[in-house]
Amino acid sequence: MKFKNFANKNQYTVMLLVMLAAVLVFFSITRGSLLWTGDAWYGMAMQFPEYGLMTLGVMFCFITGNIDMSFVALGNFATIFAVRYMAANAAEGASDGHVRAVIVTGILITLLICLIGGFINGVLVTKLGIPPVMATIAMQLVWQGLSTALTQGNTVTGLPAMYTEIGHSKMFGFLPFPLFIFIIAFILCALIVRYTVYGEMIYMIGTNVKAVRYSGINTDRVVILTFVITALVSGVGSLIMVSTMASAKADYGSSYVMRVILILVLAGILPDGGMGKIPDLLLALVIIQIIASGVNMFASLNTYYASLIWGALLLIVLIASTKLSGGIFKIRDDKKKKQVSSQ
Amino acid sequence: MSEYLLEMSGICKAFSGVQALDHVNFHIRPGKVMCLAGENGCGKSTLVKIISGVYVRDQGDVFFQGQKLDRITPAEATRLGIQVIYQDLSIFPNLTVRENLAINSEITDRRRIVNRKRWTKTAEEALSRIGYQIDLDVKMGELSVADKQLVAICRALLFNARLIIMDEPTTALTKREVDALFRTVRKLKEEGIAIMFISHKVEEIFEISDDVCIMRNGKNVFEGPTADLTRDDFSYYMTGRRIQPDPFVPEHIQEKPVLEVEKLCADPYYHDISFQLRKGEILGITGLLGSGRTELAMSLFGLIRPDSGKILLNGQPVSIKSPEKAKELRIGYVPEDRLTEGLCMRQPIADNIMLASLDKVSRRGILNHRKLFSEACRWVKTFSIATDDPHKYAQTLSGGNQQKIVLSKWMNNNLDILILNGPTVGVDIGAKQDIHHLVHGLAHKGLAVIIISDDISEVVTNCSRVIVMKEGMIVGEMKSEEITDQRITEIIH
Repeated sequence: MKFKNFANKNQYTVMLLVMLAAVLVFFSITRGSLLWTGDAWYGMAMQFPEYGLMTLGVMFCFITGNIDMSFVALGNFATIFAVRYMAANAAEGASDGHVRAVIVTGILITLLICLIGGFINGVLVTKLGIPPVMATIAMQLVWQGLSTALTQGNTVTGLPAMYTEIGHSKMFGFLPFPLFIFIIAFILCALIVRYTVYGEMIYMIGTNVKAVRYSGINTDRVVILTFVITALVSGVGSLIMVSTMASAKADYGSSYVMRVILILVLAGILPDGGMGKIPDLLLALVIIQIIASGVNMFASLNTYYASLIWGALLLIVLIASTKLSGGIFKIRDDKKKKQVSSQ
Repeated sequence: MSEYLLEMSGICKAFSGVQALDHVNFHIRPGKVMCLAGENGCGKSTLVKIISGVYVRDQGDVFFQGQKLDRITPAEATRLGIQVIYQDLSIFPNLTVRENLAINSEITDRRRIVNRKRWTKTAEEALSRIGYQIDLDVKMGELSVADKQLVAICRALLFNARLIIMDEPTTALTKREVDALFRTVRKLKEEGIAIMFISHKVEEIFEISDDVCIMRNGKNVFEGPTADLTRDDFSYYMTGRRIQPDPFVPEHIQEKPVLEVEKLCADPYYHDISFQLRKGEILGITGLLGSGRTELAMSLFGLIRPDSGKILLNGQPVSIKSPEKAKELRIGYVPEDRLTEGLCMRQPIADNIMLASLDKVSRRGILNHRKLFSEACRWVKTFSIATDDPHKYAQTLSGGNQQKIVLSKWMNNNLDILILNGPTVGVDIGAKQDIHHLVHGLAHKGLAVIIISDDISEVVTNCSRVIVMKEGMIVGEMKSEEITDQRITEIIH
């Protein structure tokens, strides 16, 4: 009975749990020997935090009914700056304390640039009224263009060893550092969404921004803040990506934009706004990572098929989610109509 | 052959369990004007959509010229000569009059190449049928509502219309434009075209219609010749009760005005607006759609910037730059359109109630959910909002209860001034009186209230003073003892 109640209230969560089980069963049968190894799960735990953080960031945007396409490009631009700075200032043989200070400054530089980038997005969308998809695609091109011009398309290396080591270190002897950061960020974001006035406002804004404005709330400020939060949280993801790659580049993580959107839609956090729950996001994230790793275990499916697989998956999830949000009821109504008219 | 052009009997239609139409009978005679009347939400538009083929009926028979119709599709309705002119005038605003008139016949004739001469011919023929003249090269979007309607009628005639349905065509028209429209309607009658006229304005219905059908809660409660109906019966059939007006009697009006507006202008909405508002009174602002009444209210709530003039609060000049500034100055605004401006429909009732006063249930940005919910429950009780669980979405409520949410939103804010724009639009008569009583109570407690409404009887019974606006100007102001329906109507038109 209790379970039934829970299931009724959390249809989406139940659906995701079923899907997770299905994915696990599928890969267990087909690639069980590869899937159920410590290495496989360690690999997953290393991979997903970087785009998991980006997903967490963009989630705020989606809840307010906006979208951000520029976060990967912005993160790349910011980290290119930071890596250059760190490479130039932490020469070999410098003391640990000095290197630490340089790394902290580098991280702050990244976050500062992300903050500015998020602010620009927010102003474009609210004050100038540009549709968020257009505004952030334009900004994506701007950031990517700047990065490419700055680096001539080359990889930027020379990170202090200490920085790359952090990315591969383990907390408490077992927890990969990126995963540790992700868990902290996830808890923080969950608390913000659930227990702050800001969290309440973004759901209301996502449902009807005009009604919130007409209640005497400065919605522009909230939306701009949201774009800033998105850029900052996803910027942390970029910092982790740089650490695991030991370099920065203009086109790192370019497939993450679509993957992040896929995860959010799968979690029921639709860009229509005002929808979705944070725990669902975690489930969707795990499902997608298992699929990503699982697909890699098929030798015949080389990386050239990656785009095709993700595209098809996004399409399926989009169709399923439109069917779930109201579509089912429509079908029922049609059936009723048919019954009546046939009488 | 039947004496009726269109005959409908026993029409039923339900939407997810809600019976929108319950065995409605309905007859239209050729060459006559039939008026379909009823309060908002009584099923008028559902009926129209069944006739025009947008909805499929669940039950009932439809005969057109004595012939039984099993299923009406929009294409079938057009073929039969049924044309609907909707309130929002679904015409291409970015095309010229000529293009709007000619485009459909061009498509049905499967023409692929534009011939300007042929287009002009089609358009001129259409206009000449009702003896109406207009520049063919003007874009539709630039025309007045009245002109758009006449073009829409011409367009309908191009389809060999036998029945033209007009959905509240006079809402935004001045008296002269209404007269012009009625002349056209009479001309169409002479040609044997039946007109179905949807309205809730008593005077117009008695002036133009031959037959009346009155609907209430999805049933038709009266059908027959207009001549058989008295005005009292009419309002009884409309509302289902003999209404005892319960006028507002101000108890204590403060002498010093709380709000003074001096020579306020905002081009092109309104000009040279001056008035005063005192605590304890209810000031009515009325006028036609587009008279500037809504824009004036929006300026007082910081949504439209005035170009010139002064606003004084308690004698101090203020500039109301934004809604948050207005809230800070203790001004609240209940907007015209609940759906798009008032409520977050897909969010809980409780959260909607507390939306304007989140600072009262939070500390340093941390929200106290329990307090939010208990505060909201208090208002659900005080305003007797009909819900068993405030966690449910706002969209589960009826119009009247939704309006109470929008109203209660401001109650935690210790307001000086509350502006209500169309407070009872789309609200059933019972809830309407509830809301009026609530507002009376607020004024008695010392709030200064402005009611903006085009429902003149609402203004007459609820306001202690009325300002009438026309074309962006104040054209009349009267005290409670001078306010009557007739005087306001005279001034408006």
